[in-house]
Amino acid sequence: MSDPSSGAAAAMRRTLASWLSAPEADSRRASLPTVMLFLAPALIVYAALTAYPVLRTFYNSFFNVADLASSEFVGWTHYAEVFKDKTFWAAVRNTAIWSVIGPVLDVVVGLLLALCLYAGVPFSRFLRVAWFTPVLLSYVVVGIMWVWIYNYDWGVVNGLLRAMGLGSWAQAWLGDPRFALGSLIVTHAWKWAGFNMVVCLAALHSLPSEVLEAAELDNCGWWHKLTDIIVPMLWPTLLNLYILAFIGKMKVFDLVWIMTEGGPVWSTETVSTYVYKRAFNWNTFDLGYPSAIAVVWFFVVVGFVVFFNVLFRRRERMEY
Amino acid sequence: MTSASTILKPPVAADHRDSLSTTLSRMLRNGGLMAAVVLYTLYSALPFLWIGTMSVRTTSEISANHFAWPETFHWEKFCIAWVDSNFAQYFWNSTLIVVSAVAIVTLLGAAAAHCLARYNFRGNRLVYFILFSSIVFPPQIILISLFQVLVEYDLYNSRLGLMIVYVSLQLPLTVYLLEGFFARIPQDLFDAAKMDGYSDFEIFWRIVLPVGMPAIATTIILNFIQLWNEFLFAVVLLSDQSARTLPIGIRAYMGDYFQDIGMIATGMMIAVIPVVVLYAFFSEKLIQGMTAGAVK
Repeated sequence: MSDPSSGAAAAMRRTLASWLSAPEADSRRASLPTVMLFLAPALIVYAALTAYPVLRTFYNSFFNVADLASSEFVGWTHYAEVFKDKTFWAAVRNTAIWSVIGPVLDVVVGLLLALCLYAGVPFSRFLRVAWFTPVLLSYVVVGIMWVWIYNYDWGVVNGLLRAMGLGSWAQAWLGDPRFALGSLIVTHAWKWAGFNMVVCLAALHSLPSEVLEAAELDNCGWWHKLTDIIVPMLWPTLLNLYILAFIGKMKVFDLVWIMTEGGPVWSTETVSTYVYKRAFNWNTFDLGYPSAIAVVWFFVVVGFVVFFNVLFRRRERMEY
Repeated sequence: MTSASTILKPPVAADHRDSLSTTLSRMLRNGGLMAAVVLYTLYSALPFLWIGTMSVRTTSEISANHFAWPETFHWEKFCIAWVDSNFAQYFWNSTLIVVSAVAIVTLLGAAAAHCLARYNFRGNRLVYFILFSSIVFPPQIILISLFQVLVEYDLYNSRLGLMIVYVSLQLPLTVYLLEGFFARIPQDLFDAAKMDGYSDFEIFWRIVLPVGMPAIATTIILNFIQLWNEFLFAVVLLSDQSARTLPIGIRAYMGDYFQDIGMIATGMMIAVIPVVVLYAFFSEKLIQGMTAGAVK
């Protein structure tokens, strides 16, 4: 009984039992035809366009899918190849860097912006809109915009550096392998800070008032108020935001593809862009190998989701 | 500065916010925080304003000075982009695909969410978990084989094909948001309707949909904006120029005429305007949808 593993097993059995449990309340009971009337359309869409494609990707990963008519069974060859593929590991490294650093940037900036609004900055209504607008823009718009901002000759970044007399710091931000990934991370954070701000603001407004009042009575300084009260009380929200962003960054594709296509020399390659390249862009005419990468990455992402869920014992569902 | 900030501060209820806001507004007044706020606002909003000004300047004007305010507003560039650069085609493709996908996913999602929220049946939570779990999947796990499936069924490169894919992409989020809301509709309403002789379908059609309208509106706006901006599936599943959506059209235009930045900017504004208009009218609903589940 004190054995934690049996406790976990029992919990899992209970969860399974609750999923499969029979109805209790009468007025909520429904016959199978009724249930199916509502559920069938969604389940058909799910089966045809999500479940079947997932299984088919698994299946594909064991074949050379040269064209759609013919395929050749190769067993685990693709998987063996994936683990020896240097480009794949470069992509994993970049994706990992992005997934760890990106969310910190998103959440910290979002929290600071939310605190400004919460404190009643002048024009806060306008500022909230201005800070949120990037969230609404598509990656194509954001990507092209920032390609121009990073332009070596006339981009804003180099323009500002030159204007400040720091012309020697001017860089080809997206053309230099040392800076390209960092530049993309900044752009991505620019787009998502507003989302994190809005969530943090909602969480701040739902804080119980007594605690902050008590802190005020105790003459608590603002820094201590932030680190000892606000951050701990918002911790579940902040953690949730971090995990959401982390999972999102594991899948990052659009911005990279639009801004750098993974270059220069794989310095911004992510797993998603590499899969896309191998499947549709390199004319290798094999959908099997990219499927194998997709399967590997699928298990990595799902593994992290399960890990976070177990670690934080969150029953709540995560988006993205 | 002091008086300005106190006058312009929006009226705040005299509750706990005061305790924090006094300390922070004290900081605001000493200028450091205010400077940061101004800088961040410039950083966040100027790129957008920049594209806006570029969209009404000609490319030669832009190359002469990349950051000048437009001397004359070349609104005719929108006509040129719309007619000559094919953006009208892309715009209508986007509209057709996204509006029908949102309509269908809302209906299917609401039906499923209603069923999962209201009825007790064996496997209820399992079905919910299965429908919802795909929200965390990396897109590539379905992308490659969806390409194959659509080719096999002659739906590759067709607006219909992309539309049904969009339905499946937004289904988990729609079910998730609506299930949470529908579960809070009081059971008494349903019991009363049942006594009045409503069938299960009538209950859904005449009670759940109208009562759930606020939540449904939220999902509609959220789904619309996400699909309007969608890039990855469109780039894989459409190659034909006549079927391109706006993001793909802009990107293709950028590839072909990368020197013509004035016209690219105009195309970008065409893509952005519907989203900004929607946001202007429904910002609260959109934010509700986006923050649902993230606030703990």
